Amino acid sequence: MDWNLFTSTTIYASVLALLSLGITLIYMTTKVFNFAHPRLSLVAAYAAATLMAYYAEATGAQPNLTPKHSFLGSLTVPFSWEFYAIGILVSMVFGVIAALVEYYAILKPLQKRGADYLMLMIATLAYDFLLVATLFIYNTHVDVRKVLARIGVLSTKMSMASYDVTVVTGGGVFISGSFIFSVILIVLLGLSLYILLFKTTLGVKMRASVENPPLAEVLGINVERVYAISWIISGLTAGLAGYLMLMAAGAGNLKPISATSPADEIVVSAFAGSIIGGVNSVFGSIVGGLLIGYIELYIPNWLAIWTGNAELFKYSKVISMLAVAITLLFAPEGLAGLLKGERWKRFFGKKEEEG
Amino acid sequence: MDSQEPIMKLENVNAGYEKLQTLFDISLEIPRGKITVIVGPNGAGKSTLLKTLFGLTTVYSGKVLFEGKDITHMPPHERAKLGMAFIFQLNNIFANLTVIENLKLAGHDLSKEELEKRIEEVFETFPRLRERMHQKAGTMSGGERQMLAMGIGMIRKPKLFLIDEPTAGLAPKIAKEVLANVKKLNEQGYTVVLVEQNVKAGLEIGHKGVLVVSGRIVFDGPAEQLLARKDLAKLYLGLAV
Repeated sequence: MDWNLFTSTTIYASVLALLSLGITLIYMTTKVFNFAHPRLSLVAAYAAATLMAYYAEATGAQPNLTPKHSFLGSLTVPFSWEFYAIGILVSMVFGVIAALVEYYAILKPLQKRGADYLMLMIATLAYDFLLVATLFIYNTHVDVRKVLARIGVLSTKMSMASYDVTVVTGGGVFISGSFIFSVILIVLLGLSLYILLFKTTLGVKMRASVENPPLAEVLGINVERVYAISWIISGLTAGLAGYLMLMAAGAGNLKPISATSPADEIVVSAFAGSIIGGVNSVFGSIVGGLLIGYIELYIPNWLAIWTGNAELFKYSKVISMLAVAITLLFAPEGLAGLLKGERWKRFFGKKEEEG
Repeated sequence: MDSQEPIMKLENVNAGYEKLQTLFDISLEIPRGKITVIVGPNGAGKSTLLKTLFGLTTVYSGKVLFEGKDITHMPPHERAKLGMAFIFQLNNIFANLTVIENLKLAGHDLSKEELEKRIEEVFETFPRLRERMHQKAGTMSGGERQMLAMGIGMIRKPKLFLIDEPTAGLAPKIAKEVLANVKKLNEQGYTVVLVEQNVKAGLEIGHKGVLVVSGRIVFDGPAEQLLARKDLAKLYLGLAV
């Protein structure tokens, strides 16, 4: 097995899973496809990189790339753990801020004025353009360039992969900190969402608000607050995706971060993950995002090896578009619908009993 | 609280949906422990009046009082906490959840013991729900769904039930059963406001009758008096006289 391909694909798939989850969550609660969602993660990435650079400057820390011995083999931690903790925290905070600005400053006022879903979706596109423009202004600002340059990062083509934690095992296997972080993150995310949705009162309220908002409201559930919580979770996951992108950008399959990259390309894949998982299933979206990540990179890789034509790798997005087309044609409710068995029941002419 | 005091009052209320006004200068008292039946021709504003009691419309002017407290601008979820239950005409259950899950959800803020006790009370009132306990609510018949909707309301032991056209679209036999269940709720001490399209059957179980025409109250008095008013019955309610 190509270990490097596996680890970099896993990071990419985790980014997609996080983004697909956010898209699905917002669709479930507000019935809007948030086209600005992948861009929220870039806002988070820029905020994290800037504050990590400020932290390094304030503490006078210089990157130390000398490996240390660890029980796994050799371990390289270029900066202190606080440096990374700040990155994660800032990403989450700014992901949430960018999401809440979108909800409270744009979508909710429009909703109050009677905007339909189409108008709201166009508004999310407008917010996306606004964020692109803001990020362009930000990343070309002279002070930002200076701050980031102090830790050796280019503001318009950010890549912090060289500052990622790395482990080289005794057997010479290279494991990046982002890979370990992405695996832990997805497992923890799945578990915590399960606990939140099925084991807590808030989760019950969230499920009720999604299935029948007016009825939830008359049962004393503050549906507006539940929606705000969904936007917060969506912003948190976008922020975490931003942090992962930042630490893996420039290495493997993720391009260096700019105002447009990699959100422009990733938007297709993130939506594909959400649709394949089933737009009404939180867990489906995580699985869908992961699946798209793996097939988008593995299938062209196999095809390239099989045909001897490396150019085929450029067409990886075709795989996710094909997956969306097949899903919409044959299983519009996505993986979640297939697991519920409704599709198969309909396929075999069985209907749920009525009355 | 004085049991003679009305549980709810509307004072000169003008209300509607966003900019579309559908209720004009409505003043109304809802007596405690009774069934108030709101009737009227299609599009008269019966459901809008009921929704106004629960805060689901826009009130432009006037006052809405619940047990003497001004709740004119209180959002619906807070009114639910005050002890009001609203049963929608359609989509009044969580169709993808089982009967027991629906009831548990309705009592999301109760303690486990209290919730179990109240679910048992619901099952005693509507034994058929106990038989259907683990059935998905969306697969039940129309009458059973209305039964569950009332059960969902009962879990919270509300002081006031607001029920919007519970017999709409149901076969006459089932509709009769549903109205008998509304009466059963009242006999257990619940105050009910009922919007009913089946005028005769509705007024027969009611104590107070309210006739709404073009967003205005045309009659407000004992239900049997409204039934006896042949002029109104013929003009507005389509009843043969």
